[in-house]
Amino acid sequence: MLRWIRRLFQKSRAETELDQELLDHLDRQIAGYVAAGLSPEEARRRAKLEFGGLERVKEEVRDAHWETHLDNLVRDFRYAIRNLRKDRRFTFVAIFALALGIGASTVVFSIFYNLFFNEFSARDASRLVVPVIQNIAATGQTDTSMESLTLHLADLDVIREQNQVFENMAGYITAGGIVLANDGSQMYQFYDARVTSDAFDFYGVPPLLGRGLVPEDGKSGAPPVFVMSYQTWKRVFHEDAKILGRTLTVDGEPRTVVGVMPARFEAFGTQTNIWIPITRSRDTPRADGEFPAEVLARLKPGVTMETASADLEVIVKRLALLHPDDFPKHFRTRVVSAVDFFMTPQKGWDGVSSDLKHLLYNMLAAAAILLLIACSNVANLLLARATVREKEMAVRSALGATRGRLVRQLLAESSVLAAAACAVGCLFAWVGTKFLPAFVPRTGDVASGGHIGGETGLGLNPQVLFFALGLTFLTTLICGLAPSLHVMRADLQPQLAGAGKGANGGFRHGKLRAGLVVAEVAFSIVLLIGTGLMMRSFFVLTRVDLGFNPKNVLLLYFMPPPSHDRTSSTQRFASPQGRAVLLGVVERLKALPGVIHVSIEDALPGYSPGRGLQVAVPGATHSEEAGLIACDENFLATLELRQIQGRWLSENEVRMAQYAGVINQRLAHDLFGDANPIGQQLQVKAFKSITLPPRDSDFQIVGVVGDMKNAGPQRPAMPMIFLPYTVRGGPAILLKTTVDPASLRNAVQEQIWAVNRDEIIGLASPLEDFLQRFAYSTPEFGLLICTPLASIALVLVMIGVFSVMAYTVSLQTRELGIRMALGAQQRSILQMILSQGARLLATGIVLGLFASYGLTRFLASQIWGVSATDPLTFTIVAALVVAVGLAACYMPALRATRVDPLVALRHE
Amino acid sequence: MTESKQELLRGTLDMLVLKVVALGPSHGYAIAQRLQQISKEFFQVHQGSLYPALHRLEDKGWLQAKWKESETGRQAKFYELTRKGRKKMESEVVNWERLCGAVGLILRAEEES
Repeated sequence: MLRWIRRLFQKSRAETELDQELLDHLDRQIAGYVAAGLSPEEARRRAKLEFGGLERVKEEVRDAHWETHLDNLVRDFRYAIRNLRKDRRFTFVAIFALALGIGASTVVFSIFYNLFFNEFSARDASRLVVPVIQNIAATGQTDTSMESLTLHLADLDVIREQNQVFENMAGYITAGGIVLANDGSQMYQFYDARVTSDAFDFYGVPPLLGRGLVPEDGKSGAPPVFVMSYQTWKRVFHEDAKILGRTLTVDGEPRTVVGVMPARFEAFGTQTNIWIPITRSRDTPRADGEFPAEVLARLKPGVTMETASADLEVIVKRLALLHPDDFPKHFRTRVVSAVDFFMTPQKGWDGVSSDLKHLLYNMLAAAAILLLIACSNVANLLLARATVREKEMAVRSALGATRGRLVRQLLAESSVLAAAACAVGCLFAWVGTKFLPAFVPRTGDVASGGHIGGETGLGLNPQVLFFALGLTFLTTLICGLAPSLHVMRADLQPQLAGAGKGANGGFRHGKLRAGLVVAEVAFSIVLLIGTGLMMRSFFVLTRVDLGFNPKNVLLLYFMPPPSHDRTSSTQRFASPQGRAVLLGVVERLKALPGVIHVSIEDALPGYSPGRGLQVAVPGATHSEEAGLIACDENFLATLELRQIQGRWLSENEVRMAQYAGVINQRLAHDLFGDANPIGQQLQVKAFKSITLPPRDSDFQIVGVVGDMKNAGPQRPAMPMIFLPYTVRGGPAILLKTTVDPASLRNAVQEQIWAVNRDEIIGLASPLEDFLQRFAYSTPEFGLLICTPLASIALVLVMIGVFSVMAYTVSLQTRELGIRMALGAQQRSILQMILSQGARLLATGIVLGLFASYGLTRFLASQIWGVSATDPLTFTIVAALVVAVGLAACYMPALRATRVDPLVALRHE
Repeated sequence: MTESKQELLRGTLDMLVLKVVALGPSHGYAIAQRLQQISKEFFQVHQGSLYPALHRLEDKGWLQAKWKESETGRQAKFYELTRKGRKKMESEVVNWERLCGAVGLILRAEEES
């Protein structure tokens, strides 16, 4: 390699030029002597003599150039590699420790980068914004949660024309959600989004096959077309290459497939299967019945959020004056970045567990801490080596090496380590990013809302690799710093005289090393406590008594019928025909193998009923807000609710739509206190004012059941009342199964379509999936990242404590030998060494606990059900670190007791 | 060539070279000749010092080299001063004069009787 570089420079132009320059000089000198009267031969001889060796001059000139430094650098690296290869065990441990640190940080950064900065595949995604609206209550208080601003298409056109801040805008309608499609022989059910015809141009992602939607598709009279998602093409049509041009009847209208979008495209609605262009011309009047569209906009370059918000607010306020019915009385509008919008929990789902943004920051901090631990570990190992190599350093410095040169040598060594660790770390990271994406939580709510994670692809993108490279550089500096300081400060001369003969030879650097171990222990305490708190929180969360058993329950939700029919599903199933369909379906589902119970109801157990109705004891002035679940006689058994008093609704009551109701414990307590509520009357005030049945609003209470969560596991259950669904429809069905409920999806769909070919099932998902998605996925994701980080930290601490103790013992061999020769017991030696280790540990632990006490409040948004300074977690973590640390001390201590005094006294 | 002359050269060569080149673009041989002439044969710059110095000054951007046809009709490497080089030289000269002045003051100081 060296020769190669030299040859390269020899061949280079610079070298020939140097030759030419020097020969020119020589010639002139000869000419000068000739002119002075010497014979040509004599002149040549004298000139050459004066010149000295031409090669020597050239070498000296070369020394003035930077290549020489490169040359030295190469030499340094070669030397470093040779050195590291000599001490394989050290090299392996160091590279492994750093690789863990770099790898973990890289994975976390990949998640961070891809979720925050690379979340959307759209063109210029950083300028994507979502207009949002916030209600201002009569009290003047602004609603803290935000909803996306939905607009009539005509209003959208007004904003398009009047704004000064958006480069372009797109509208999409997902309300209605699901459509039926068939190709004559087979029936499909798709999540659809109707998009403005410029939406695909707006998003700017090229299609995988065919074409995206284009403005011509939106002109009235254009041939009806649609575009499908990659997932749909793959799962439903099995990657049929001839899909383009096929015609399907979608929502009663024949439409042609013109394109398939790539896998990383999940714009305009969640899980959208097909995108249909909205056909309307610009001057189409504002229709009252139409679904309002959600809006995505792209800021002009350089426009700030504030400017855009102000501009939007003016236009929307003007629209609100024209159409007061479509806007809240008092409101604010502004734009938020698409990332912020989709990552922030949506209205109604502000459970702490879905705060992904803070989780990501915390994860990044955790990874940084781990990297610091790994660095101090390796710095410690390097320092130990440096101390051992003091003599070598002294010799080198005596032979003329400057301190700069020695430091460069050490930095070369740490950079070789870091570079190797970077390569291994990237390998770790690659493995990590391969299996992590499945766990990235997809925040958002059932119907529309966010879809973080939808378009996210984790991976080692160039930016992430660049980050890893940066880390490597940083690691080199941090790791190389300690040994370099050591060389800079050390007076190396005595080392030559007689190297470390004394009992405490070289022990003066013990402080730096002890400091590093203390720091390592403290860092790991912080990391472990953070993780411990998250674990505790998750444990508490998953063991919350939901009041029902979500296991093996499949939820089916009937959607409103295709968009041409506007009756709500509640109304529809209240009708005799609707009810006949419902009962027919139930009968068929009951007959399915693997199904134990089937229950008709209208809630998503765990997350609804959300809205409260005013209920009261007739005659009383006091009323309570309660959620209403309309269900049948099997509901109790299906969800395994706890009957506290009285009984559940009977089959007869449900069939005859009798005015009987069951209340939950909380409502019983709120309304009746300790009195027996059974047989009492209950008035649902809201029923009084509506004209639809039921016209009577008084119910007789027949039973009390245990509380059942209705806003996620983290919130207390609200008062609840259970009424026969026959009183007020119920478009959902629950199935209790003995098999995996997800496996029944297709069978269930077939049974339903066997009853009614036009039925749309909005959701057919296991109940546990909802809980997983809304409540558990984010904290679980956090744990999935932080637990390995914390475990690695613990291992690194163990290595760190072990290495520093082993080193201390080796330095003290002579002292130990003397002690033992003088009659010290093995036990007291063991005690001495262990207490030295314990002192280090204790310092680190105390520091770590204090730091954690101050830092864990940043975790507050991630933990639930435990205090950020939970004493139990603090105690367990401290005990764990003590145990691990002492175990790491024990081995060297044991070795110390086996010191043979005779050998030790001669030990150098 | 005595030891003392060499010592003097080592610290001041850069400045002297810059000064000589400032008189007009010239090639290595001419620079050596001029140094010798102007100093009335006091300095005899060896090629082994001159060329590394020239290349170093060029690397630092104080000198700029061009291949030009010389009076002999051959291609020769001509060095000329850059603006950065001129600044450098001026400050070096000022420093040198200060140093000389200070040293002179000390050497001329009257011995106390």
